Amino acid sequence: MARSLKLVVVVGMLVFGATPAQAHKVIASLFPSGSNIEGEIGFSNGVMAENTVVEIFDLDGNKIDEVTTDGDGFFVYTPSQQIDLRFRADLGAGHVAEATFAIADLTGVDGTVQTAPSKARTASGVGSNAGPAITREQEEIIATIVRDELRPLRRELTAYKEKNDLQSILGGIGYIFGAFGIIYYIAARRLRAKAPNA
Amino acid sequence: MHIVDGALAPEVLIGGGVLAVAGLGLGLRKLPIDKIPATGVLSATFFVASLIHVPVGPSSVHLIMSGLAGLVLGWTAFPALFVGLLLQAVFFGFGGLTVLGVNTVNIAFPAVLAGLLFRGMVSRSNPVTAAVLGGCAGAFSIGLTTVFVAVSLALSGDAFVPAAKLVFFAHIPIMVVEGLVSAASVYLIAKVKPALLQAADQTSGFEMQPTATLRAKQAGEASNG
Repeated sequence: MARSLKLVVVVGMLVFGATPAQAHKVIASLFPSGSNIEGEIGFSNGVMAENTVVEIFDLDGNKIDEVTTDGDGFFVYTPSQQIDLRFRADLGAGHVAEATFAIADLTGVDGTVQTAPSKARTASGVGSNAGPAITREQEEIIATIVRDELRPLRRELTAYKEKNDLQSILGGIGYIFGAFGIIYYIAARRLRAKAPNA
Repeated sequence: MHIVDGALAPEVLIGGGVLAVAGLGLGLRKLPIDKIPATGVLSATFFVASLIHVPVGPSSVHLIMSGLAGLVLGWTAFPALFVGLLLQAVFFGFGGLTVLGVNTVNIAFPAVLAGLLFRGMVSRSNPVTAAVLGGCAGAFSIGLTTVFVAVSLALSGDAFVPAAKLVFFAHIPIMVVEGLVSAASVYLIAKVKPALLQAADQTSGFEMQPTATLRAKQAGEASNG
């Protein structure tokens, strides 16, 4: 047993410079962005799904639309109906990204208060408490700036959520040893039941 | 390697589940009591290896160590790898619960085949030859797993040849690294504990006794007591 453990340590050392991380888990994140839905699709090792077709379904599974990601696995979709949506992308080799978006999260849907005589109604999500001194165009500019500022933060948050820490890995190893301990116990009991009584 | 939930057709999931249960049953029946600790260690090795990221060029790969598990454990690789996969799915969302059966078969069955093919030769060789054969077993196991993954996808509606090519070529770096690590591991085992590489004897702690024998024994115990 001690030698087997040594083996595990050696194997670990052979993979020099490796850090515990999750390879190749698919990540799909969706964010409200005014009246649009922004999304990012990629793998947890930082490789993004470039030029991938993302299919958009309603919750009953009927296909509504599709969009294609750009070179960074990023896409923007403007929903045409006020229903919850499910986004699905097939990245090949058994990797499928799926994420659901609740339409209520969109700040730009009907219900925002108009603060100024607007030209084209392209909704924004800043709300009305900015007062009449600010025009709709300015509101949109501010909203865009805030979104751009938040985007790296969102990405970092997603990456952080996907991080495997040593604790979980050690926990997993503990579970495995525990499970095999139980198997050992059962096997030993059966063996004793078979053994002639002393 | 780990197919995720939602990528496969229900028939494939059910088929994989049935095969995995059969493999698990066979693996547990063939598990001699003195191999249980080694099974646990190899299960943990697989669990950790799949979570370790090795940067290769622009991307990164992770080891699987299924070939080594097959060499040491034979059919018992099924329960060992199943436990690892189950915990990866639960803890890290790696793979998934509905595809657990398919993933177990895709990774464990090639491991078992690698064991059947190479174990006899490995156990009779000197450590250096054993290491080379062990490396081949490691690479072979990964290569066959890619074919199995492609078959699972093909049965769910993907075209087989492009899918198989894609998965196979993407995994060539892993096959190389895995072969080297398996070779090093087999060399170490052959040096320090060659008994691990001998074919397991078939007496098992899990074989059910015929009930008649059991009843006779209980009757004997009652009369003794």
